[in-house]
Amino acid sequence: MYRFLTLTKAMFLIHIRDWSLLFWNFAFPVLLMVLYGAVFSGDDLSGFMTWMMPGVLAGNLMAFGLIGSSSMMTELRAKGVLRRLQASPISSGLLLGAYILANVGMALSTALVVILVGVAAYGVVLQPLNLLLALPMIVVTVVSSIALGQVISGVAPRAGAAVAIGQLVYFAQLFITDLFMPIEMMPDWVQRIGPWLPGYAMAQLVRPALAEGVLNDGWPLHVLLLAVYTAVALVLAARLFKWEARSA
Amino acid sequence: MTAPILDIQNVSAGYGNGQRRVDALRGVSLQIQPGEIFGLLGPNGAGKSTLLSCLQGLHTPTQGRMIVAGREPKQAKGALGIQLQKTALLDDLNAAELLEVYAALYDVQLTPERISALLERFGLSEQRGKFARQMSGGQQQRLALAIALANDPQIVMLDEPTAALDPHARREVWDVLRGLHEDRRTILITTHSMEEAEALCGRVAIIDQGKIMAIGSPAAIVAGLGLQATLKAAIDLPLEAVRGLPAVTAVRYTGQHLEIQSAAPQTTLPALHQLAAQHGKLVTEFTLRQPSLEDAFLALTGRSLN
Repeated sequence: MYRFLTLTKAMFLIHIRDWSLLFWNFAFPVLLMVLYGAVFSGDDLSGFMTWMMPGVLAGNLMAFGLIGSSSMMTELRAKGVLRRLQASPISSGLLLGAYILANVGMALSTALVVILVGVAAYGVVLQPLNLLLALPMIVVTVVSSIALGQVISGVAPRAGAAVAIGQLVYFAQLFITDLFMPIEMMPDWVQRIGPWLPGYAMAQLVRPALAEGVLNDGWPLHVLLLAVYTAVALVLAARLFKWEARSA
Repeated sequence: MTAPILDIQNVSAGYGNGQRRVDALRGVSLQIQPGEIFGLLGPNGAGKSTLLSCLQGLHTPTQGRMIVAGREPKQAKGALGIQLQKTALLDDLNAAELLEVYAALYDVQLTPERISALLERFGLSEQRGKFARQMSGGQQQRLALAIALANDPQIVMLDEPTAALDPHARREVWDVLRGLHEDRRTILITTHSMEEAEALCGRVAIIDQGKIMAIGSPAAIVAGLGLQATLKAAIDLPLEAVRGLPAVTAVRYTGQHLEIQSAAPQTTLPALHQLAAQHGKLVTEFTLRQPSLEDAFLALTGRSLN
C-alpha cells in the first residue's frame, strides 16, 4: 500500500507542476466561463450560466482525459521514465492504478474550481442535493474520460500525437453532444449519432444533477453507456500498454 | 568458492524479426561473484546494454539461462539497484522526493535522515529541494546513482555511469563507486572507457559484436595476451648489445630515442643501466609504458576502442 500511495502522490505532483496542464485544467475553463458570460446578451445571466457551467465542466473533464492524461503518459513513455519503472518490481496494473487515481484527483480539483467560479462570480445556485447527485456523475465522467485517454496513449508514438488525437476526439464531441450547444440546434444526423457518444452521456448526467438537482429519466442508460465505453477502453488500454517507446 | 550472484549461461538475445533481426548477444557466458566490481567493456553496440537489460528482466533472451541473486531475472528486480544509460527521472520531482519515490517502488520506506545521508554521500545536500530538470548533468548523474542505492540493493547495475561527465565529475563518481564496493555490494558497470575499467574494476569482460573476447582482471587479460611493455630512452647504444639484454623482444631507434619492447621490463631495465655504464653513458629521460587494456582490446578485436 505504501508504494501505491507514494507512486500516486508522485504522479499527482508531476501533474500539478506541469504549467500547461495547470493552464488547461484551471485557467482555461474559467476563461471560457468569463467569455460566455461576457457575450451573453439575455436577461438571466445566472440562469444561462447554470446551464453553461455543467457543460464547461464536463467538457473540460473530457479534455483532461483525452488530451492531458493521454499525452502525459505518452511523454513519460517517450522520455524513458516508464522503462525505469519497469526495471523496478512494480506491475503495470499498479502504475496505471496510481496514475489514474492521481488523474481523478486532478480532475476533481478542476471540477471544484469551475463550480466555485460559477457560484461566486455568476450566482449559480447549488443546493446540497445538486452536489450530492453531481459528484458520482462527475466521477463517472472523469473515469471514463481517463480510460478513453489511455487508449490514445497506447497508440500515440509521441506526446504531440496524443494531443492531436485527443483534440480530434474532443472537439468532434464538443459541439455535437449537447455539451456547449443544445443538441436540438443540430442537423438530424447529428441528433441521431450524438447520443451514442460518451460526451452526450456525460452532459446528460452532469448537467441536470448539477443545475437542477435531478437525474434525467434516461440516466441508467447513460451510466451504462459510459460503463461500456470505460470497460472497453480499459481492456484496450491494458492490451495496448507499453513500457517502452516503439523505436528503442 | 561461493555460488555466483550473477550466473549467465550461453545467452543470446536480439531485436527485431526476420530480415531486420539484429543479434546483440551471441552465446555469452559469465559468472560474477558476490562483492565484485565487474566491468563490461566494449565499444558502442557491442551488446553491453543488452546484457544488462536481460539481467534486469527488461529483455528476454532467445537462448540460454540467467540467474540473478538465485532467481530468474524477472523475479529478481527487487534485489537490484539500477541506473539506465538514459537517465530518465520524473524530472518535476525534487531530489528528496525522487529518492522517496524510487525507494517506495521497492517497498522501501526512507526516513528523512536516510534521505539526507544519501544526498550527503553523493554531494547533493544543497540540491535537496531542486527539481531534477534544474540540475546540471553531473548532478543528475549523481542523483541517478543515489536513486540506484535508495532501495539498499544487493547488486548495483550501472550503464555507463560516467558517460558525458567531465573528468572531475568522473573521478567523483569513481570515488563513490569505490565506496560502494567497500559496502560489499556487487557492482556491474558497462563502460567504453579503458581508463575507467582499469581504475575501478577487479575483473572485466571485453565484449565485441555480442561475444565475450576475454574475462579476467585487467592485468591478467593483458598478461595473458603476452603483450609487451615499451621502454623508451634517450641514449645511443649498439642495437645488437641491447637486443641481447634479458626479456627484450625487439629494438629500434625512433628519432632520438631507443625503443625497446620487453616482456619483463623489471629485468630489462637494470640490465640496460649496466650496459649504458659499460659504454660510459647514463640512461636519461626514460619512459616505460606498460601494455594496457587498450592494447589488449586492439590485440583481441583488431580494432581500437574509441
